[in-house]
Amino acid sequence: MENTVVKIDSLVKRYGDLIALDHFSLEIKEGEIFGLLGPNGSGKTTTINCLLSLLAFDKGDIKIFGKEMTPTSYDIKKDIGVIMQNVAVFDELTVYENIDYFCGLYITDKAERKKCVDEAVRFVGLEDFLKFRPKKLSGGLLRRLNIACGIAHKPKLIILDEPTVAVDPQSRNKILEGIQELNARGATVIYTSHYMEEVEKICTRIAIMDKGKKIAEGTKDQLKRMIKNTETITVEVLGLTDEVISQIAGLPHIYDHSYDGSLLTVFCSGGKHNLIRVMEVLQKNDLSFGRVYTELPTLNDVFLEVTGKALRDKED
Amino acid sequence: MFLHHLKYDILSMLRTKALVIWLIIFPIVLGIFFKVAFGSVYEKEIKFDAVPAAVVEEEEDPYFAAAAKALSEGDDPFMELTYTDEKEALSLLKNGKVKGIIYAGGELRLSVAGSGSGETMLKVFADSYNAQRKVIVDTAENDPARLPKVIEALSQEISPATKVSVTDGNTDLYNQFFFNLLAMVALYGSLLGINITLYNQADLSPISARKSCSPAHRFTGLLATLVSCILMETVCMTISVTFLRFVLDVDLGKHMGLVYLTSILGGILGVAIGFFIGACNSFSFNTKVGISMVFSMLACFLSGLMIGNIKPFIQQHCPIVNDINPAALISDSIYCLNICSDYRRFTIKIVTMAAMTAVLMILGLICTRRKKYASL
Repeated sequence: MENTVVKIDSLVKRYGDLIALDHFSLEIKEGEIFGLLGPNGSGKTTTINCLLSLLAFDKGDIKIFGKEMTPTSYDIKKDIGVIMQNVAVFDELTVYENIDYFCGLYITDKAERKKCVDEAVRFVGLEDFLKFRPKKLSGGLLRRLNIACGIAHKPKLIILDEPTVAVDPQSRNKILEGIQELNARGATVIYTSHYMEEVEKICTRIAIMDKGKKIAEGTKDQLKRMIKNTETITVEVLGLTDEVISQIAGLPHIYDHSYDGSLLTVFCSGGKHNLIRVMEVLQKNDLSFGRVYTELPTLNDVFLEVTGKALRDKED
Repeated sequence: MFLHHLKYDILSMLRTKALVIWLIIFPIVLGIFFKVAFGSVYEKEIKFDAVPAAVVEEEEDPYFAAAAKALSEGDDPFMELTYTDEKEALSLLKNGKVKGIIYAGGELRLSVAGSGSGETMLKVFADSYNAQRKVIVDTAENDPARLPKVIEALSQEISPATKVSVTDGNTDLYNQFFFNLLAMVALYGSLLGINITLYNQADLSPISARKSCSPAHRFTGLLATLVSCILMETVCMTISVTFLRFVLDVDLGKHMGLVYLTSILGGILGVAIGFFIGACNSFSFNTKVGISMVFSMLACFLSGLMIGNIKPFIQQHCPIVNDINPAALISDSIYCLNICSDYRRFTIKIVTMAAMTAVLMILGLICTRRKKYASL
């Protein structure tokens, strides 16, 4: 049976009148890459800060590796690696010095530490930048340094709080691959993000948060099965009459539709061959059409259906 | 672990340009500026003509009489005094025979008709006399034997042209500016002290948040940063004193060892002030730096870094300010060593500085003992 690495029970955190976490509970098993997904302000970072005992909370219990987490739980902290949302490195120290400094907070033996630091440098691919100061690094390299500082001591539990914010796609992919590799080496990972593709790509289990509450939890397939939508069909077509639209709406398994004069969107719930049936209606009415595509539900659809709003902020 | 923290804290500080500029380069530049500005005054040995003034004695004042005598006699008198009645004095002033009328008897009053250098010197004399009258009266009552020296010191202070040796130390008025410059460098140590909280209080920076997540004991990190700040400030103070003494050739007296020690203790006091400012409130780091800079400059202003006469003025009207102003304590300590050789007063100043340092450090530690934060 898998061991529970993190257990959060009914956590409540208030900032004045604002409830940041509202009886939030969570259980993370050993070897998981657990995704905390939610829009900005949903409480992901607050959860992480409470988990790390940086932030005082009003109610609830937090256990890591089966022990209660407190600010002085040094025996627990030695097995945790943290990669914060904000890059936390010294501007005045070089890449190597930064990794060595943070690794030294966990490993006092110099020889062992050097080995770990060298390994971390190789892992994030910063071998050519060892003597660079952080200000000379690009955004992607800086994020990699931030990760190296958090994982050099080979922690059993790695907490990554939005590590790919403001990172180019290439570096983002490298970071995600690195996280999967760390997991493959045995680390349990908690990954927070508001990028659903990332969470979908790497996480074995996901909790969706909104307004400090957990609104859904499961594997990505379990989450997608929770919602009505199973397929969304989009067709570029001009001059649809009300009669044709009602024919389409009357097809089996179609529970909703929209048409803006050029783009027909049809939402299906279950069933097979939904696309073929829609095409048949269009051909029968002698309507020519442009691009046709069908999409499976995403976590955004899950979020949209559960909360009634889009997961990602417009500016993202 | 402590040495690991210490090594990287020192490395980080040494590479912080702002700290190097404010703690090493700026004092050196200001020292050179002072030397250039005041050096010409030293070198020219300007001989001022005695300033003619009329004295109207409203009531008998032996202390003024003694001071006036000291200043109007000798080879290079500061004033040429004419004792007369008010009517005659006004006539002399109107005809330009005198630069001003001094009304003696208790606190001096001065009446002048113009705004030239003579009038200014009379004003300086009147202000200085009034500021130090209490000292003169106290000395006359408690230690009459020292009165001539006190009056001579007064004459030296108001007259840059005369150089009276009242002690075995250096009595150049302009040295006060260099003493205050050292006080300023010491108080800039507060910029270092703020780093103690910046790097150890999780709500102030991502670095300290990351450190708080590690198994390293918080107090070890705090202590290491504190020690690194003190070491850094010690180096800065040593550089400043050495530069003033051996490069700019400023006479800091015979007790150089004690001057170094005083300056270093002042620097540690500066670090303690910064630690306290960093720890006692929840403002942002930049606001804390602003508070620290404003405090340092205000303390140096009140100590006479910008206006030389302000310290006697404060001593007369609110002496407690000079007793607790860290900049005044530092510059006065060096002054005591250099000019008065007054070890009793020096010891009081040093003990006050040490006590303030201890209190501020303890308060800083109490304020930073929190382990969790309400918000980050």
